[in-house]
Amino acid sequence: MMMLRTRGLTKQFGGLTAVDGVDIDLAADECCSLIGPNGAGKTTFFDLLTGKLTPTAGTVELWGEDDWIDITHTPPHRTAEVGLHRSYQITNLFNKNTVRENVRIAAQAAGDDAMNCWHNTGAFEEYITEAEAILDRVGLAEDADESAGSLSHGAKRQLEIAVALAGDPDVLLLDEPNAGVSSESVEDIVALIEDVATDHAVLLVEHNMDIVMTVSDRIVVLNQGAVIADDEPAAVRSDETVQQAYLGGYERGDVDDDRTGETAGGRA
Amino acid sequence: MAISPSDSADLTASLLLSYARDHVVHLLVIAVLAAYPGIYAIAVNSPLSAQAVAVLPRVETMVAVLYFGLFAISFDFVSGYTGYLSFGHTMFYGAGAYLVVLTANGKIPFLSASTPFVLLLVLCGLLAVILALLVGVVSFRLSGVYFAMITLGFSQVLYVFVRDWNYLGSNPRDGVAVTGRTAGFEIGIPGVDSASLAIGQLTGDTAELLGVVTLTTAEVSYYMVGLVVLICYFAMQRVIHSPFGRTLIAIRENEERARAIGYNTFYYKLGAFAISAFFAGTAGGLFAGYRRSVTPESGFYFLTTGDALLASIIGGFGTLAGPLYGHLFDESVREFLSKAGSGGGLLPYLRSNLGQGTLETVIYNGMTIGESIDVFLNGRAALYVGIVFVLFVLYVPNGLLGTVRGRLNGTVAKGFPMWFRQRLPDRDSDQSR
Repeated sequence: MMMLRTRGLTKQFGGLTAVDGVDIDLAADECCSLIGPNGAGKTTFFDLLTGKLTPTAGTVELWGEDDWIDITHTPPHRTAEVGLHRSYQITNLFNKNTVRENVRIAAQAAGDDAMNCWHNTGAFEEYITEAEAILDRVGLAEDADESAGSLSHGAKRQLEIAVALAGDPDVLLLDEPNAGVSSESVEDIVALIEDVATDHAVLLVEHNMDIVMTVSDRIVVLNQGAVIADDEPAAVRSDETVQQAYLGGYERGDVDDDRTGETAGGRA
Repeated sequence: MAISPSDSADLTASLLLSYARDHVVHLLVIAVLAAYPGIYAIAVNSPLSAQAVAVLPRVETMVAVLYFGLFAISFDFVSGYTGYLSFGHTMFYGAGAYLVVLTANGKIPFLSASTPFVLLLVLCGLLAVILALLVGVVSFRLSGVYFAMITLGFSQVLYVFVRDWNYLGSNPRDGVAVTGRTAGFEIGIPGVDSASLAIGQLTGDTAELLGVVTLTTAEVSYYMVGLVVLICYFAMQRVIHSPFGRTLIAIRENEERARAIGYNTFYYKLGAFAISAFFAGTAGGLFAGYRRSVTPESGFYFLTTGDALLASIIGGFGTLAGPLYGHLFDESVREFLSKAGSGGGLLPYLRSNLGQGTLETVIYNGMTIGESIDVFLNGRAALYVGIVFVLFVLYVPNGLLGTVRGRLNGTVAKGFPMWFRQRLPDRDSDQSR
């Protein structure tokens, strides 16, 4: 079942076409990666999906209960409400709040009690429980009482995903969850991406090809705003246009086999 | 340790205990504030009378600290919790103050001059809410310094307006005073005379407590104004601790992310602005009820917001209670450094307590000690308050309450009992010995 689709999605900044007629479909059980060189329009594309930017042309639609909902001109808080959540390339958290509060406030956004201004927050236990469960899932349960700003960079990247997970979205847009993460912590994030992909439709922007080849069911390659390939990892890897534009002759090697073993072990 | 026969009774007891523990500090603060007039009276009649008069703020000053403190708290409610500096906040204070005075003068259609004061206070709040919604709908399109500037603009427009509108009084530039109502403004249960007491310096009631202590008009005003301020403070505190309040904090921390996780931040900011305006309007009403007059300067001029900002920064931005302490600090310093006749302070204290010989001693180039006291202290309060302000911004950026909370890792209500218990001798280890 398809969850998200764009048709002819285009964004122009003056004379520059940042996103150029993109058609993408995302299935409910799919982890699709969006790759491309710097400036290919990946983050702009995310901003168009969430409504932070309005497209020059084209549509964005999300599958509702039984029909497509047009969310092309919907502001970010509404797209979040209908089930499209994102994480950020540059860590974007509530720094002075505790880790738990970061996730709790996101869970609360999905409920109906946020406008309640008379009862104590502690009376709404469901959001606290949800936050604790999500922190458990991303492996931050022990840091729940720390302030978000005091976490290590790797932990902040995990929290970034945790905040996006709250409120049980249908579609999860992950913008470089690995950005700046040291090589030892990469496995944690990969395991996390694979884990959330089991029950969410995931659209992932990522530069690390090892990760992309490991976790993706499908890869979409953007170059100068346009889709130049949209296929399974193996097919994309051997695609000549892609090789020229971006991959520069990447070959999947032994490293990858090791990682598959490790991540499986890490998740057990 | 024996197990209690009734678990539910135990649970109730522990719940009550934890509730009491959470509020111990609140009760302590209220008790100290409630005891203040008594402490002041005792101190002033003690052998240390001269020192007490010089150092302690008068009860009249404390009334002003309370109602202006409420205004500063309401300023902090929106500015400290959403991060949007409401620089025109004085317009709500002024609107409340003018409403009280004009109603008493029979200038407001459909409102009789004898409208109960408590009802008037609510109307002050509602008027401010309407004003806040109108101003907020326009202003919240902007953020940062532009938001501060546009709210300042609105308040200055109103300032010029009340200065020049002849309907308000015979000489609106000098403000308006209550002329149409000789009775004092009463706080209490409307219509029940025995449950209401009037406030004001001249029109206030005196009261007898248990036939032993007689409260002066200033003391009665202090308690009645304090009662309203206390109720308003707890109402705002509830909002801050609610899901709505937490959302405001999220907006302050990171508005973009708050929007991305599904909050329509515009409505939350507007709501916070309206709630804060309600209490600013109430504070303005208390001010006019106590002083029985209002001027464009005290009601609508931007420096009135400046005083609230000062109180918030000294007391702690985003701490809610802090601005009250900040304003108390501000007023105490001002009064301590002020001239004779406005409550005593350092200058009259030195003049009357240093001997004539000392005062006439030449210290430098023909200048006597008496003259130097004049030069450095007479009318220089604002200068020293300014210096204190600069020092606070530089060295205590979190303010008084903010710094204490930082030390205790949380609010004083939660942190202080824990801090206290850690310093008690360990009871368990005592028993084992």
